[in-house]
Amino acid sequence: MSNLDHGKFTRVTTLFHSLLGLDVFLLFFTGYAIMFNDELWWMLTLMGGASGVTAIHRITGIGLVALVVFWITLQLISSTGRSNFSKILPAKDDIDAFIQDVQFVLGRADERHPSARQFAGYKADEVPLLSYIGKGVVAIFSIELTLLAISGLLIWSKTGLAAMFQTKAAAMAFVTFHGLLGVIMLMGVMFHIFEHGMHPAFYPVETKAFIPRSMVPEHHGDDDEEPDTTGIERLSLSPSWRTVSTVFGAMTVIGIVSVLVGSIFDEGYPVPRELAIGGGPSSILLTVGINLGMIVLGVGLVLSMYGNVLRIRWEQQLEQEREPTTAADGGEPQTDGGRPDAGDSEN
Amino acid sequence: MTDREDLPDVNGYSRTSVLVSAVVGLAVAALSVLWAQGFRVGYESLYRVNPTVEGGGIGSDWVFGNTIPALDFLIALIHAADVIMGAFILVMVFIHWAAFQRLAGKMRDPGEDVGEAVAADGGSPARGDGQGGDGA
Repeated sequence: MSNLDHGKFTRVTTLFHSLLGLDVFLLFFTGYAIMFNDELWWMLTLMGGASGVTAIHRITGIGLVALVVFWITLQLISSTGRSNFSKILPAKDDIDAFIQDVQFVLGRADERHPSARQFAGYKADEVPLLSYIGKGVVAIFSIELTLLAISGLLIWSKTGLAAMFQTKAAAMAFVTFHGLLGVIMLMGVMFHIFEHGMHPAFYPVETKAFIPRSMVPEHHGDDDEEPDTTGIERLSLSPSWRTVSTVFGAMTVIGIVSVLVGSIFDEGYPVPRELAIGGGPSSILLTVGINLGMIVLGVGLVLSMYGNVLRIRWEQQLEQEREPTTAADGGEPQTDGGRPDAGDSEN
Repeated sequence: MTDREDLPDVNGYSRTSVLVSAVVGLAVAALSVLWAQGFRVGYESLYRVNPTVEGGGIGSDWVFGNTIPALDFLIALIHAADVIMGAFILVMVFIHWAAFQRLAGKMRDPGEDVGEAVAADGGSPARGDGQGGDGA
């Protein structure tokens, strides 16, 4: 057993995560087709020009409000949500985990810190619900999504803005604020995709976010045989991992740097007077870079769909195995003659 | 799954909580549409964000029209946040990139013979599909 297979998400969380991802990606594609319109002119055109893009942006924005409010309510009214809350607060372990991660990279530590082992296994009960990166993702995305939803609604509601600030310039400032704020999340999501897609043990996508933990067989019993390590040395590297992770890592870095540089250039004028292809402060490099960033998002979208396909296949496999036996708990399947692809065989 | 309900880790959310939250979420979303759209159409056309309209969208008079210093400050603040967070996120990318390389170094190479290995639970070792123990 590799011991890399403990689940993390509940079924509700996996579904919520996929819907939120889809919605946020659509908001990114539409929002940044407007903000970076001279670099992403094709995207703007593809989605029906300015009116099409703003319409999709508003519809998905309302979807975001519904999803965010749903999630906040669920965390407040359910005991599971409330009990998880303490697990997302930063602790001293998280700083230690960050420091040890740096040491691990430099070769001065043999393993990643227990609080950083979001992926790298160990016994399921030793792994925290969230690593320090996971906590950071939750914190940043929660604050960002709330601020983006509020500022977005204010921009939408011209009456609301007019009542607050009286001027068009104020409304414009909110558009700028909204767009620049989203850049932090845009960069974070690129990292998120890289982090969850390019781990060598889980490549091409980490399935914990898609296969609910209630369905993942955990290793119970046989305590004397419980491995002391992650078991990563028993796994085979995918032949394409080195090439793909290098290319995708480069794309992620270029994408992050480009949207960062682009956001600085676009100060004050994220929504220009008129659509100017290749105009404004854009250059070939910036255009290529920002488009690479959008491809990183596109890959994330594909991986999210692929994760859901894996869940469906996994569910079907479990269903098949459950019929004659309860082998899904990680024990020996009762029969392997008729099912060469039995899911337990690789635990 | 019924055999693991006693374990805190696999407790999910109750059907009622999910249903109530969904209703609240949809209701708030519907109300926010109503609020954002408003009923006074005049304002909507007056302050419309029209990025590609000839003669200037809402942004064209930002620099000259802004009389509120706080807004300038707010935008400068977000610019700073963008740069600081961007640098931090890049550091995170590089740490994980390098960590992944090290982890990959511990794994078997694609062509390596795995016939000898026996997994602790008696199952066969991982296939070379890179999915690890997730059983994809």
